[in-house]
Amino acid sequence: MIKKVIGKFLKYGTLISTFGLIASVALQIYARFFMSNTPAWTEEASRLFFIYTISFASGLALKDNYFVYLDVFFERLKPSIQDKILLFIHLVIFVLFGLMFYHAVLFVKLGLPEKSASMGTSMSLTFFCMVIMSATMAYYSFLALLKRLK
Amino acid sequence: MIWLVFIVFLLALVLRFPIAFALGLACLVYIIGENIPLIIIPMKMFSGIDVFVLLSIPGFILAGNLMNHGGLTAKIITFCNHLLGHIRGGLSLANIGASMLFAGISGTAVSDTASIGSVLIPAMKKEGYDEGFSCAVTASSSTVGPIIPPSVPMIIAATLSGLSVGKLFLAGAFPGFLLGVGLMLVAYFISVKRNYPKHAKNTLKQIGTSLIDTFWALLMTIIILFGIIGGVFTPTEASIIAVLYAFIIGRYVYKNLSFKKVQIIVLDSMKTSASLMVLVGFANLFGWILITERMPQYISNEILDFSTNKYVVLLLINLLLIFVGTFMETVAALLILFPILLKVAITVGVDPIHFAVIAVLNLIIGLTTPPVGVCLFVASSIGKTSITKVSKAALPFLFVSLFVLILVTLIPQLSLFLPELFAE
Repeated sequence: MIKKVIGKFLKYGTLISTFGLIASVALQIYARFFMSNTPAWTEEASRLFFIYTISFASGLALKDNYFVYLDVFFERLKPSIQDKILLFIHLVIFVLFGLMFYHAVLFVKLGLPEKSASMGTSMSLTFFCMVIMSATMAYYSFLALLKRLK
Repeated sequence: MIWLVFIVFLLALVLRFPIAFALGLACLVYIIGENIPLIIIPMKMFSGIDVFVLLSIPGFILAGNLMNHGGLTAKIITFCNHLLGHIRGGLSLANIGASMLFAGISGTAVSDTASIGSVLIPAMKKEGYDEGFSCAVTASSSTVGPIIPPSVPMIIAATLSGLSVGKLFLAGAFPGFLLGVGLMLVAYFISVKRNYPKHAKNTLKQIGTSLIDTFWALLMTIIILFGIIGGVFTPTEASIIAVLYAFIIGRYVYKNLSFKKVQIIVLDSMKTSASLMVLVGFANLFGWILITERMPQYISNEILDFSTNKYVVLLLINLLLIFVGTFMETVAALLILFPILLKVAITVGVDPIHFAVIAVLNLIIGLTTPPVGVCLFVASSIGKTSITKVSKAALPFLFVSLFVLILVTLIPQLSLFLPELFAE
């Protein structure tokens, strides 16, 4: 159930932020040609949508094996050794992003007093994308780890 | 300590860690070893990704996928077949021609191998072409994708060096064309030698009809390129224009895109982009460590101590990049090596735009270099042929690619004349 909810959250998060990215850049172009003033916030908004798109999609990319790796040496190993190495890889990814998650929360706290230049929103909102990225990566590596252990 | 970082990185690569996480692990070892606060990880990852020009990467990937699923690939192939099919080995020439046209949309080699290969490899096998040759032509020709604009590696190179994306796009166009023509010549000579089939000559009307069908795709490349060069759009804006254009053409002109399909394409494109951006984020952290340890200066001094001759230095860099490109994914290799080697190249008087073309060309040649060329693997899996057979058949194409690389390295004007022409 939780797995499904998180999956849906990331899927719709990715879709909404992608459409937000497209809309804000499209508005920027439209405003430059057809409006007397280009809104100052569109560039910042598009960057915000972009990093959120990447953050939502990175967990899904890990789950669906989109990350590139080199398997020319790995393929020559015995299947039992391969299994152990894969287990180790997921463990390392989990530790890496688990540590990053904790420090991403601290990073968000750092952004609390700061405001973005043109949108006026707190920078912690912008930095929060790192929390989403690290949490979902840690989550999917943990699931993969459990699957391997079973 | 820095050598431990390299050892961990290489060991993790050999153990099949995804490249992004191999970099992340190596950085973590350094950060813990040097007692640096771990908050540097999210900070550097964030600053690596939060760059406006990088927004164009998901845009171009999405536009390419929309065009591909919108039925464009089949139309490009039909057009090229009508145009070149009557020559001996016409289908192999159409394969390369289609790659050159498709390059103007996708910007990545693997997607080109997969989309064109899935149509043309079975068709070539059916017409009696050797299966190794069919796969090798597809894999080799797809390497023109990342050099003919729009090009994802060129956007990355521009981000790393502060060079103009528009100028880099222009600089890659002619070497990409040269590479395509070189591959066509090799395919033609092999086809004549093996007496591969040719089709009946098409009428001008048939060619014209298929040109009109492909016109919308070609127009997209023109809009992107001239929009950026003419200063009408930034690269990011051009990528979003390309997305909207591809959606309208795929949905309302070619009528192949349902909203459900678009949703799947968007998710797929964003997952691909995310995997690249996580890599960019960790590479930013890795780059910071290298700078802290003064590695660029160290490597630069080592190379310059060996020789300060421009051509000897370029030869050394070419050998290094080809070797690395054989084992490592293009973007990853570019992120790690380009800033360091650019400094060396500038010191010996190489134009940075010229050097960016050399670096990208080197790394994309690596995509078809045995034993790890990614495009060779994709083509062999589509053609259900052994990688050894494909690698062997790819050798003549590899030689011509290396010849083009030598030309591009020795004659800077091949890369620079278009940016200079448009600058005037």
